[in-house]
Amino acid sequence: MTNALRIQDLTVEYKTRRGVARAVDRVQLSLEENRTLGLAGESGCGKSTLGRAIMRLVPHPGQVAGGNIYINIDDDIPCKKGDIPKGEVDITGLNEEQMRVLRGKEIAYIFQDPMTSLNPMLTIGNHFIQMIQAHNPEIEKEEALDRGKEVLEGLGILPERVTDYPHQFSGGMRQRVMIGLGMVLRPRLLISDEPTTSLDVIVEAQILEQMAELKKTFNLTMILITHNLGVLAQTADDIAIMYCGRIVELASTENLFEAPQHPYAQALLLSVPDVTKPNKKLVWIPGAPPDLVDPIPGCMFNPRCPMAMDICKTQVPPLIESETGGLVACHLYGGK
Amino acid sequence: MDKTKLVSGIFFQLTPKKEAFEGRSGKWWFALLILVGLALAFIAGLILVAVGSNSGMGLQVVTGTFIIGFLVLGGRAGSRYVVEQGVVTKKRAFAWFIGFCLITTIAVSVASFVFLPASAFDLWFVLVTGGFTLGVMVIVLYDFYPVLRERGNPGLAVTAGILLVLSIVYMTFIAYWIVPHDPFTLDVGRPLAPPSSSLPFGTTSLGQDLFSRTIAGGAIMLQVAVVSVIVCFFIGVPAGLGAAYRGGMVDRVVSLLMDSIFAFPGLVLAIAIAAMLGPGIINMAISIAVVYVPSYYRVIRSQVLSIKELPYVEAAVVMGARDWEILFRYVLPNALPSAVVILSINFADAILTAAGLTFVGLGFPIDVADWGYDLTAGWGVLVIGKWWLMTFPGIMIVLLALGFTLAGEGLSEILTPKLRE
Repeated sequence: MTNALRIQDLTVEYKTRRGVARAVDRVQLSLEENRTLGLAGESGCGKSTLGRAIMRLVPHPGQVAGGNIYINIDDDIPCKKGDIPKGEVDITGLNEEQMRVLRGKEIAYIFQDPMTSLNPMLTIGNHFIQMIQAHNPEIEKEEALDRGKEVLEGLGILPERVTDYPHQFSGGMRQRVMIGLGMVLRPRLLISDEPTTSLDVIVEAQILEQMAELKKTFNLTMILITHNLGVLAQTADDIAIMYCGRIVELASTENLFEAPQHPYAQALLLSVPDVTKPNKKLVWIPGAPPDLVDPIPGCMFNPRCPMAMDICKTQVPPLIESETGGLVACHLYGGK
Repeated sequence: MDKTKLVSGIFFQLTPKKEAFEGRSGKWWFALLILVGLALAFIAGLILVAVGSNSGMGLQVVTGTFIIGFLVLGGRAGSRYVVEQGVVTKKRAFAWFIGFCLITTIAVSVASFVFLPASAFDLWFVLVTGGFTLGVMVIVLYDFYPVLRERGNPGLAVTAGILLVLSIVYMTFIAYWIVPHDPFTLDVGRPLAPPSSSLPFGTTSLGQDLFSRTIAGGAIMLQVAVVSVIVCFFIGVPAGLGAAYRGGMVDRVVSLLMDSIFAFPGLVLAIAIAAMLGPGIINMAISIAVVYVPSYYRVIRSQVLSIKELPYVEAAVVMGARDWEILFRYVLPNALPSAVVILSINFADAILTAAGLTFVGLGFPIDVADWGYDLTAGWGVLVIGKWWLMTFPGIMIVLLALGFTLAGEGLSEILTPKLRE
């Protein structure tokens, strides 16, 4: 199995007025082909920043401070400013034009808010034409439109509706259009940043199902960023739990839900409300994540951790192999 | 219904069909009556004026322009017909149409060159421009009206606005051939004579025929307004777009420049620049343009600043769109409707500023027919009860401004898909 994505020591920093906030801190990650990785964690843990860093779209004033991101490319990709060779490519070293060629063609990204992600001035068909012609200018409008129609039909949207404007679609349909736009060029890697957060549960289920189907038909490798563990349980093969910019646990979905290793992952899973038991009190994690501008030494979770030890306050735990075959960053398991 | 649909557009709508008239409300009949009545009155008035024209060739000129106008319409209908028959592609048919127009122009010029006396040589220009203005008017009705009608009220407003402006343009083009008196000749009647049957709008304080001056006086207004607004638009919009999209130092420098222009009171700055440049249409247009550039810049800049942060722009980046594509397909179209609103307001403003410049003596000498001049001159004699001198040029300025406003407001609504219902 080759790795579709390999991230090495990736650090992303936001230079704010108060100081430097490290949103992603030396993240190591590798993702095998045709797998779905779920990135979970609470707000501000750096999961979206990590997703955007893969697209090289970290919003201002953020920047990649170090590390490499490698993606695997099947064929040579021609580009005006230096062709991209096939094989593993470090995208942190590419220039803007090369990155533009990769975006949409090799890596697709789906945003959280479908209501505003489509240009209100363009018809849906024009979106497809622009998307296709941005990468293959030689393709005629009619052909591009046909390809768009085909994708839309697969997503359950009538092909005649390509002449409609975004405001004539519902939120769920718009998100499906966004997914269709992402898929039309058959990218290898799909990053979806909370794709169903703003939708109701029924539409959410439909879209997740369609994404799973697409994954099968197009041999996609997916990264699903969400704070909804239920969504991950349904769709992800592996789950990475992030806390304060670090990956604290990486395990297969089954293992993570059965036997979470890291205290944070355990607490996170406990806090999922259980509707099957009556009158169960909502469990929550006391305290709040530390300030990223002024980070605490050692393990970031130590002030909130019920099992904190002295070593936790001084040393950052390395990511080591856990008993269940995943990876975990906790001093509880490193003591042998 | 004719299968070929050679004649469609408003003509098709008006084809007397039994079902088309059944179930129409009284309001509809009333509106039709007004429309048909106005059109007939306009043509009748034009012919009446032309018959009694100063040049003695008014009727021929009007007929000539109408013939050219209908030739243009015929050419358009023909090119549409061949497209519908599938003989040629749309682009080819359009090229044929342009070629047809060029050939008509050349034919008219050659004919004028051969048949007209040297004294009336500039008539070919009047025929061609007037004829094509009419042609455009008919095409607006023929091609655009059915499309615009789908858009409801804004579409009708755009059609009405464009037609209003174009008819004033047409009137201005053929003015000198249809006016009953030379608009510059002094002492046509008693000075400041009230409207009468021989001088329908009365005379100015120099005894010039106000009716002729009203017909002929639009040229300067139109030129100044159109040139200044075009200059404004093509400086203000790209500057705002570029500065806001690029940001940083460029934005700061351009904003500083625009703000310093903005700091001056508009008319005072226009007067200063006009005084520096001297009289003349282009100079007047430039001095007005300088005053209004910052308003375009400000509006476009603030629009672009908010649009470029919107998710669909980022979504375009994610899809791998090029920079220019994002700028011209995502940012500009969304910012443009507000610029079009400014544009329509600016037309009216430019006309009024031009009138103001004339008022302070930076306009044109007495031997140029200009609504602004008559308006300001009439303002002086209004107190002694000479109301006509101010009223008739004023009405024309209002009509012109109304035409631009209707067209602009409607356009901005049509350009926004969400408002198109």
